[in-house]
Amino acid sequence: MTSSLLPVALGNYIALSAVLFFMGVVGVIVRRNPLVMLMSIELMFNAANLLFMAFARAWMNNAGHIFAFLVITVAAAEAAIGLAIVVAVFRTAKHVDVDDVAMLKG
Amino acid sequence: MTNMVNGADWAALAPLGIVAVTALVVLLVDLVARDHASRNASIAIGVAGTLVAAFVCARGYGINYAAFGGAFVQGGFSTVFQEIVLAAVLGSLVLFAAIGKETRVAAAVALMLWSACGAMLMAGAASLMTIFLGLELLSLALYCLCGLSDRPTAREAALKYLILSSTASGFMLYGMALLFGASGSVQLSALVAPALAVSPLYWVGSGLFFVGIAFKLSLVPFHTWAPDVYEGAPLPVTAFMSVATKAGTLAVLARFIYAAVPSTIAEKLLLPIWVIAAISMIAGNVGMLAQHDLKRLIAFSGIAQVGYILTALAGGSALGLRYAIYYLVAYAVMNLGAFAIAATLSGDGEEGSRLANYRGLAKRRPLAAALMSVFLIAMAGLPPTAGFLGKILILSSSVSTGYAWLGGVLIAGTAISLYAYAKIVRAMYGRDEHAHPHGAAPAVPLAWASAIICAVVVIVMAFYPLTPSNILPLVR
Repeated sequence: MTSSLLPVALGNYIALSAVLFFMGVVGVIVRRNPLVMLMSIELMFNAANLLFMAFARAWMNNAGHIFAFLVITVAAAEAAIGLAIVVAVFRTAKHVDVDDVAMLKG
Repeated sequence: MTNMVNGADWAALAPLGIVAVTALVVLLVDLVARDHASRNASIAIGVAGTLVAAFVCARGYGINYAAFGGAFVQGGFSTVFQEIVLAAVLGSLVLFAAIGKETRVAAAVALMLWSACGAMLMAGAASLMTIFLGLELLSLALYCLCGLSDRPTAREAALKYLILSSTASGFMLYGMALLFGASGSVQLSALVAPALAVSPLYWVGSGLFFVGIAFKLSLVPFHTWAPDVYEGAPLPVTAFMSVATKAGTLAVLARFIYAAVPSTIAEKLLLPIWVIAAISMIAGNVGMLAQHDLKRLIAFSGIAQVGYILTALAGGSALGLRYAIYYLVAYAVMNLGAFAIAATLSGDGEEGSRLANYRGLAKRRPLAAALMSVFLIAMAGLPPTAGFLGKILILSSSVSTGYAWLGGVLIAGTAISLYAYAKIVRAMYGRDEHAHPHGAAPAVPLAWASAIICAVVVIVMAFYPLTPSNILPLVR
């Protein structure tokens, strides 16, 4: 290839997105602040987006691009609803911690 | 691929369109109507729109058309699941008239209708994209519905559901990305390619996909959210959630099992599902024993019932799928009936949910006690109810497809559950040691009508084992 930008191998994309996804999962499990948990969930979604884009190029199938746009839209809606619920729950609390929300015991 | 969208494609989506537009009309009427009038108008418009959608949907039963380039399949299988979702909407909408004075009914009705749209989209979804869109539409509306009432437990339920369910969506989405990477297509029909059997992307992807599905179906070990969310959410929302979420997700799972797994590895790939179905049947029924709240009890019961339905799907026979649908219908009707009875007992709000209030019920409200007994007997799977026949059909299919061990677990689970259900029936017909300060029964004709219809259906279904014959093919 004559381009100065070296083509990045598909495996690298998969590895990076796996790392991002794993960070998201760990974030949801470890962090106790619902805002950070929501951010971690966004990270999981965007790890999937990266994968969709990489595979869309590998397969030359633009369905992956469309899927990524769909996910971005859904994630935005999810963030809006998530923040609204967090505000509704913690309107009266001084600090925000999911361990304080434990009236219902599974 | 020729992807011209024509009139038939839009006609396939007509039932969803009717439901979505009904939700908008409900919100518009709420703007102009007075407080009390708006409450009744919202419910009336919601019921009318749902009935029209159910009629239009039923007319598409014989069609079998793959709309939008195969993203959405109309007819047969999809129609049956969409009708179950619409029945759940009807059975839950009427409960809004009975309870929750503090709940904003118009908003709740609109959200429930949109949520139903999501479940109906899942019922017909034949591409990963449509599945994800339907699932998120269903879930996002449900998060709001859970948090609509002002009780702190409702808010807590909404937060828990939001975080856990979104995480599960994340797993599922990542699984879908890997499936796309393995097959190069978002269509479920592309996932049967034999070459995928050796693709690690396919194995990991379908594993993550199943994690997401298992969470939404509240299968053990992904079930812990269900009792909490069921308890915290308002009664009509719990009724809707217990049926519509499961119907939509089961439609996706059934389509995946039957139409998107390379046949050479089907047995190996799907084995974990049958194992967690078996664990769910036991754990759900054991969990039921310790509960003091009807909603929590039904949550655990639902965990086990989904296990029964999956038992019918094991082996992948067409007859098994028909039996699974039969049992799902029975499950929907007995759940909606039990929630309707709980609504008729709720003077101020959530009273009908506490099991202690059922003690000595037969003396105070004989009809309510009798109807509740019918639903509990159906859930336990005793004759003469649809629950009994459903379990017999599932057992016969599990034996004929070589999954007799799952059938054995089903029998063991049923035996455990008998105690939990019998305890409630006995309490209802026993003496009431505590004097309950019960006022006059709330006038809730719609909830009564719903309960009586459900009871009749549960018993009549036991004698007419109608199962839909037009269920395959699931994808094109």
